[in-house]
Amino acid sequence: MTNSRNSQGFRLALRLALRELRGGLSGFYIFLGCIAIGAAAISGVNSVSGSIAGGITEQGRAILGGDVAVSLVQQEPPAEALALLSANGKVSRSTSLRAMARRSDGGDQILAEVKAADDAYPLFGELRANVADGADGVVDWADFGDDSVLVDPLLLERLQLKIGEQIALGDASFTIAGTIANEPDRISEGMIFGPRILMKPAALKNAGLIRPGSLFTDSRAIRLNDGSAAGLGAFLEKMQAQAPSVGWRVRSRDNAAPSLSRNIERFSQFLTLVGLTALIVGGVGVANSVHAFLDRKRPVIATLKSVGASGDLIFMVYLIQIMLLAMVGIAAGLALGALMPLVAKWALAGLLPVSSASALQPGALGLGAIYGLLTAFVFATWPLAVARETQAASLFRSSGFVARRLPRAGYLLMISCGVGAVAALAILSASNKFIAIVFLLSVAAAFVLLRVVAWGLQWLARMAPRVSNTQLRLALGNIHRPGSVTPSVTLSLGLGLSLIVALTMIDTSLRQQVSGNLPQRAPDFFFLDVQNSEIDRFRSKVEELAPGSTLNAVPMMRGRIIKLRGINAEDYPVEEGGAWVLRGDRGITFSESLPENATLASGEWWPKDYSGPPLVSFSAEEAGELGLTVGDEIIVSVLGRPVTAKIANLRGVEWESLAINFVMVFSPNSFAGAPFGYLATLTTSGKEKAGTSGTTADDSAIMKAITSDFPAAVTVRVRDVLETVNTLVRQLGAAIRAASAVALISSVLVLAGALAAGNQARSRDAVILKTLGARRSSLLAAFVSEYALLGAATALFALFAGGLAAWFVVTRIMDFRLAIDPMAPVLVLLAALAVTIGVGLIATWRILGQKAAPHLREL
Amino acid sequence: MITDTVVELSKVHLTLGSGASLVHVLDGVDLNVQRGETLAVLGPSGSGKSTLLMVVAGLERADKGEVSVAGSRLGSMNEDDLASFRGRQVGIVFQSFHLIPNMTALENVAVPLELAGDRDAFDKARAELEAVGLGARASHFPGQLSGGEQQRVAIARALAPQPSILVADEPTGNLDGETGKRIADLIFAQSGERGTTLLLVTHDTALASRCSRTVRMRSGRIEPSQTAAAGFVGGRAAQ
Repeated sequence: MTNSRNSQGFRLALRLALRELRGGLSGFYIFLGCIAIGAAAISGVNSVSGSIAGGITEQGRAILGGDVAVSLVQQEPPAEALALLSANGKVSRSTSLRAMARRSDGGDQILAEVKAADDAYPLFGELRANVADGADGVVDWADFGDDSVLVDPLLLERLQLKIGEQIALGDASFTIAGTIANEPDRISEGMIFGPRILMKPAALKNAGLIRPGSLFTDSRAIRLNDGSAAGLGAFLEKMQAQAPSVGWRVRSRDNAAPSLSRNIERFSQFLTLVGLTALIVGGVGVANSVHAFLDRKRPVIATLKSVGASGDLIFMVYLIQIMLLAMVGIAAGLALGALMPLVAKWALAGLLPVSSASALQPGALGLGAIYGLLTAFVFATWPLAVARETQAASLFRSSGFVARRLPRAGYLLMISCGVGAVAALAILSASNKFIAIVFLLSVAAAFVLLRVVAWGLQWLARMAPRVSNTQLRLALGNIHRPGSVTPSVTLSLGLGLSLIVALTMIDTSLRQQVSGNLPQRAPDFFFLDVQNSEIDRFRSKVEELAPGSTLNAVPMMRGRIIKLRGINAEDYPVEEGGAWVLRGDRGITFSESLPENATLASGEWWPKDYSGPPLVSFSAEEAGELGLTVGDEIIVSVLGRPVTAKIANLRGVEWESLAINFVMVFSPNSFAGAPFGYLATLTTSGKEKAGTSGTTADDSAIMKAITSDFPAAVTVRVRDVLETVNTLVRQLGAAIRAASAVALISSVLVLAGALAAGNQARSRDAVILKTLGARRSSLLAAFVSEYALLGAATALFALFAGGLAAWFVVTRIMDFRLAIDPMAPVLVLLAALAVTIGVGLIATWRILGQKAAPHLREL
Repeated sequence: MITDTVVELSKVHLTLGSGASLVHVLDGVDLNVQRGETLAVLGPSGSGKSTLLMVVAGLERADKGEVSVAGSRLGSMNEDDLASFRGRQVGIVFQSFHLIPNMTALENVAVPLELAGDRDAFDKARAELEAVGLGARASHFPGQLSGGEQQRVAIARALAPQPSILVADEPTGNLDGETGKRIADLIFAQSGERGTTLLLVTHDTALASRCSRTVRMRSGRIEPSQTAAAGFVGGRAAQ
């Protein structure tokens, strides 16, 4: 009975709403813009990331180089494991490692990523190369000889070489046969630090780069005889069963680039939160538009009430209209969002695989739509609930409209549920829930604070001593009078600016850390793969090249945790923060004593001549994230051998120093007899004394001499690495700023809407003042003063709130020092003034030229 | 005994505004109106006559006193009960017509019937429009109608649910003399045919004289002489 009455009520409300909508979209452009921008940002970001994920899946075989790929570090798989691979399909082998590539004349050298692939390479996808300074084309790797290499064009540029010339690697020289245009399995290999050199296995052997303890990765890609999903599943089961004993990392075409997929997912989740901010900022515009719309509709509402409509029916009639209009905005936003993968495909061509087939991402569009609908609902409900109380009696009195009041409890509950749904969606869809929660709390706090700022500003304007300047007095009056635009302007612009300030300060701090603090504290060079037998000669050479400098050298091997506290690493429950320790191989070392740059947090260091069962010292922070403590047992696969060790102590490690640090330091007897190389750092004397690095020429001399005397050792100049990281941070920062600009666009839209809505009152004032003799310049000065005061106050708040948020993120989450760019406050202030005065004057310019007579007749 | 009194107001007080702008709009009003009677309320601006109409229509709530209309005590009803009461018992005609701009004439007339859940809302609305002479203009929007036509639609809308009482606030105030006269004729004819009680607020004494009874308001009160006269006239059906 009640249901049928409800459905009748809904049908009637829908009928009345559709009749009312005959008025068209006029007056709703800001509303539609706000909703469309937010929905477009969220659906676009998620569509692009979904299309990249789709691209990775579609091209999984080519990206991985096979149906399945297995890899081992510092060793080759045992014969029976290889037999299992070849029994199930065609196998291609490749070995990758870092090495110094040199000009044959010894003129220059560069860190290169070497990959030695057999003739079967690539099993899937196409290797494209430019072999004769012409257009690139598909090449057959089997056609190339053992003395030829293909290189990244960047390498030729850096070493000033040409196709056909010689390049030296390790103990041998090779002919550069061409440049690589497309290496099909490039993105599955994660971040690489130098240009690629593709060579034959025999060439690698000739170069003598692999020596005992060398850090190389042996990879085998398989094209399965039975490439069906079932065949793949069955084969993977066999592989996984062998994984613990062989110690290899198994990946399949379904998960070809896990770290890339993970990073894209994380980045898109972060950008979704930024998009959500745009939507929330736009929500203020939604509320303003709905408020203005309902103001216009009050006579209709009162009329409906006078002929028998209940308050609930009125609420439903207008909620339906608002939600239908929101759907129009959302549809426009989703159309834009759906186009973004196509733009991304064009912009990211050659960098990331963006699928055309899966460009239309229903999930992403659905997410944008749900956020859009929820935002429209949350921000429209308040003005709707207030308008519901409009009294029919207002039709008899010009000033009899309902006084502003709080909505009834039921509607407040409805709004709370909507807010809760937005928050729940944001938190549940984020992999890092902590960041999502902090983000939402910050936005909520900013919302409340901005409201308080608006009240404060209005209070100050009201309490300000009487000023003699008429324009300023008018401006102050406009700030505090009932129905002023102050709350809308501070709220919309304040949120957008605070977000920009926070993101810019975080970006500045991050880059300051990478380019400022780190280089001062970090060593100048890292040397990898210095042979055990060569370490003494290496020390003497370095002392000869850079007298008085500090060389730290520690043994280094690679190891992967396969079991912790009796649980397989892949099944071990771990928070996002500590997961990286279990992901793949980590550098490990052994030491008789506590490393100099570490502090003992708990437990005891082993005695100098310790010879009992293997012990390990674990980094305290990572142990905490993994839930490990002194006395726990871990099993680490090193050189294919499982080593069981008990945690003897936990160490405090300062990772940011870029000094030699390891998560795990073992007791020396743990790897007795195993081959290993040295990892060394060099801090030049000039830097130690003056805090500045040597010149590029000094660095080059050291690199040249070390590379020439120790061809298998890899020299990494910290300055180059930091430059690469800095570029990456800069690019990410630019992407984030571009996304946050969407929030600022919403702010400007809301601002324009709010100012336009306030035009009626402003027109009346202008006309009266003109009648009393005010010139247009006086009115202009009054408006500019008002907008400037609002802009300046909002900018100050944005600096404070954004700075606070940045301080929290930088010092509490990233553990850096907050860097402040002295120009930032000035720029924010100028931006705020430019936006408020610019948009304000555009919105109110028309008023200045209005003739008084027509208005006076209406007054 | 079945009473024939449709409107009973007893010692009704109403104050509007607050602080310095507080106004005692109704100051102890007593008024009885009989079924079928036509009553004109006259008085200067601000005397409280429109407010009196609002109180009768359940649009404004009295602070003190008893208000009973068509057998319902309005003081005990909430906003939604009052809305539904108006939908059934009270038709209202405004000076400014107050048609819903995005609805056609037919839809405007049908709205109160639809709100009351009447399945034949549109058939009845069409008949009402025919009755006011606007059958041919049913699909026109208010903006496409003249002032007089708009007021006819408003009268059709007010009478469509067959209310017990029709209240009209300056129904000819926004119309020229000739059109105003035709609208007045229509109101009297339609309410007379249906036996609907009519409460009319006006400044126009000629219009008021067409009513069976007239009361005059001043400063929130009904003037004594007129009230006394009302006592004698009360109960006589107006034609």
